[in-house]
Amino acid sequence: MAWKEVRSALPPGNYYYSGNEAAAEGAIAAGCRYYGGYPITPSSEIMEWIAVRFREVGGVFIQMEDEIASLSSVIGASWAGAKAMTATSGPGFSLMQEGIGYAAMTETPIVIVDIQRAGPATGQATRVGGGDIMQAKWGSQGDYPVIAISPWSVQEMYDQTINAFNLAERYRVPVILLAEQAVGHLRERMDVREKIAIFNRRKEKGAAPFGGGDDGVPPMPAFGEGEKLLVTGSSHDDYGLRKVADPLVQARLTARLHNKIVNNREEIIEYEDYYAEDADVIVIAYGFTARSSLFAVERLRREGKKVGMIKLKTIWPFADTLTRDVGSRAKKIFVPEMNRGQIAGEIMKYTCCDIIPYNQTDGEIIHPTTIMGELRRLL
Amino acid sequence: MGEIKQIRLCGLGGQGIVLGGTILGHAGINDGKWVAGSSSYGAEARGSACRSEVIISDEPIIFPHVTRPDILIAMSQEAYDKYIKDMGRDEETVIYDEQMVCTKEISGLRQLGFPAGNVATKELENKLVANVVILGIVAEVTRIVSQDALLSAIEKNVPERFKALNLRAAELGLALGRAKK
Amino acid sequence: MAGDVEEYLRPGVKTPFCPGCADRILVRLILRAIAELKIDIDKMLFVSGIGCAAWIPSPHFNADTLHTLHGRAIAFATGAKLFNPELITMVVSGDGDLAAIGGNHLIHAARRNTDLTVICVNNMVYGMTGGQVSPATPMGIFTSTTVEGNRERPFDLCKLVAAAGAEYVARYSVGQPSPLVSSIKKGIETSGFSFIEVISPCHIQFGRRNRLDTAAETLKFFAGKCLMKDEAEGLSPEELGDKIITGEFSNGRDQAD
Repeated sequence: MAWKEVRSALPPGNYYYSGNEAAAEGAIAAGCRYYGGYPITPSSEIMEWIAVRFREVGGVFIQMEDEIASLSSVIGASWAGAKAMTATSGPGFSLMQEGIGYAAMTETPIVIVDIQRAGPATGQATRVGGGDIMQAKWGSQGDYPVIAISPWSVQEMYDQTINAFNLAERYRVPVILLAEQAVGHLRERMDVREKIAIFNRRKEKGAAPFGGGDDGVPPMPAFGEGEKLLVTGSSHDDYGLRKVADPLVQARLTARLHNKIVNNREEIIEYEDYYAEDADVIVIAYGFTARSSLFAVERLRREGKKVGMIKLKTIWPFADTLTRDVGSRAKKIFVPEMNRGQIAGEIMKYTCCDIIPYNQTDGEIIHPTTIMGELRRLL
Repeated sequence: MGEIKQIRLCGLGGQGIVLGGTILGHAGINDGKWVAGSSSYGAEARGSACRSEVIISDEPIIFPHVTRPDILIAMSQEAYDKYIKDMGRDEETVIYDEQMVCTKEISGLRQLGFPAGNVATKELENKLVANVVILGIVAEVTRIVSQDALLSAIEKNVPERFKALNLRAAELGLALGRAKK
Repeated sequence: MAGDVEEYLRPGVKTPFCPGCADRILVRLILRAIAELKIDIDKMLFVSGIGCAAWIPSPHFNADTLHTLHGRAIAFATGAKLFNPELITMVVSGDGDLAAIGGNHLIHAARRNTDLTVICVNNMVYGMTGGQVSPATPMGIFTSTTVEGNRERPFDLCKLVAAAGAEYVARYSVGQPSPLVSSIKKGIETSGFSFIEVISPCHIQFGRRNRLDTAAETLKFFAGKCLMKDEAEGLSPEELGDKIITGEFSNGRDQAD
């Protein structure tokens, strides 16, 4: 396949980076060489870091006139052969939705980093939020697939941005790094290994660029390679020819777009299990909140309490099998979130287990003592 | 369990509190430790209350915010008054700029005042490096980071043209710390 | 001549354009300009937005085509062109697409002087969606959303784009094939932002609502309205009336007026 080992762009060692800087470095390590962006708090440091570093590594950076243009340019660059990305936060993420739908429909590999802040609307620009979970899945019209990842540390901002590019290239799909302000602005030790594994989009001369294959993912040529490409956001056949009234073409395309992600979800979905095996109460958490949760769970474990935690690393596609399994053995599932229960509702789709959501939308992180208090009441 | 130290720096926007935290954290990395740092400040860039936190640990850090500071570094009265309440009474250390802060008498706390701003103004003719003077003091008094690690962190985090000035500021801080011990 | 452009047409494509549509003419005029420049069409990228005009390159042109979102063609083209400057990149889209929903991208690409050739196919209405008023609809014209005649002033798109900093700006009608083809050639050869507004009337949505019942009548009506720049010189505003002035308005940044 198209996996290969490459030397990391940064010399190996320990760095003291912010999450935003780490995401930019992860992108560069993964081979990203196009960035179109627009300033927005709290994600702007990603763009600023890229603007400096692309001069050193030879990438194309442009600050566009708005977020719609940023993402549009990223999609254009991807079809010109680039690994391309942008970063934004809530208001900009809203503007990017039409582009995300277009990228999903045209199977364009792109990476979007969303540093979530307190919303809705302009909300509190410098404060943390986690309300874009469902928007990442359903923000653009129609049913379409995306992959969304939630990093909990600066290390994961680096590793998961690399992973985001690998997934985007592997499945020809937009991948969203759904980070939170508390991770974007966190500074931490970040370890850089000498070699990293990257996946580059598969090419096959003359093959149907929208035809699928064994795994539903077609090869992707670039502009300028003589393939006379037809790329359109309208419904199209295997060669990209617009078919705007053929029910069979429409059914086949939408099913394949969905299935290429869903059928490969075991390969895509990542999670981590902490003390969940024998736990009566299991916390399901993601992003920064998983760190507060783990802190609380470890304290309670030391007191002999049977609590555990599942940390979701992949948000979309949702870990349905895992949820069913956790629901079948836990007495209660506690779901702390910096939104009004977006993942808690998703969990309820897959298990009848007693789900207890905890929702905090005050622009502050959920503190371990809060989680400890809630868990004590449940035990 | 390895050692874990929680440090809070506080003062006014423009005093270099955030940069101070970054340098301190970087110094921890240079010592081979696990470090987490975060900061909070108002939307105004200058003059508002400002806080920066650093955790330096021998092991990976699960929760990256300060839960109970071992060391408080205060560079303004307002910040001191706000954050002194979070300190325990178990011989934790407070290091403050004595021109900026009047302390309260609190038992169980080691409160040490230094003329950081004064030294920066008089010896270096630049009061903006008071933050780095304080870092020198902190390194010497608390030993949370080594001297070499601090100096190399300063080199990595300040612009070329201010390097010599900041290194001198750190040396002055280290000397102030030594004198007090 | 016809043989030249035939090889640039995608085989087996049945045109979706209405009989008598001026865009059918424009398909061939753009390709003729490319043929005359002897460009290998595989080195070109055609980007379009949404609407009838966006269908000129996609699927007619046998080349790389990127049919994008409504209004965003220039932004998509910017990314592709910047990443691979070897791609000779042309944007073909309508007046509603480029000047209304995409107006911001248009002026900013002109400001940056990005090396794109933008063909703005101006039929003065939203054709595909049913003939609604566009920012290029002249005053007094009846559309499906200006039932008492348009009361808003249209953009002078060439003035707008020239003022924003475009390198090359021109306006011609499909009824002026020879200067139009040379203008498209100049646009392609200009390194910098080129903008060519092409008056390409829609007899279905524009013509019939304004008592121009056939394609021929609509074309004739516009032919009578178009004046070359030098013919217009010295005419008073009253004499000019609602005439459409055609010609080159900027050829090199210094001459932008």
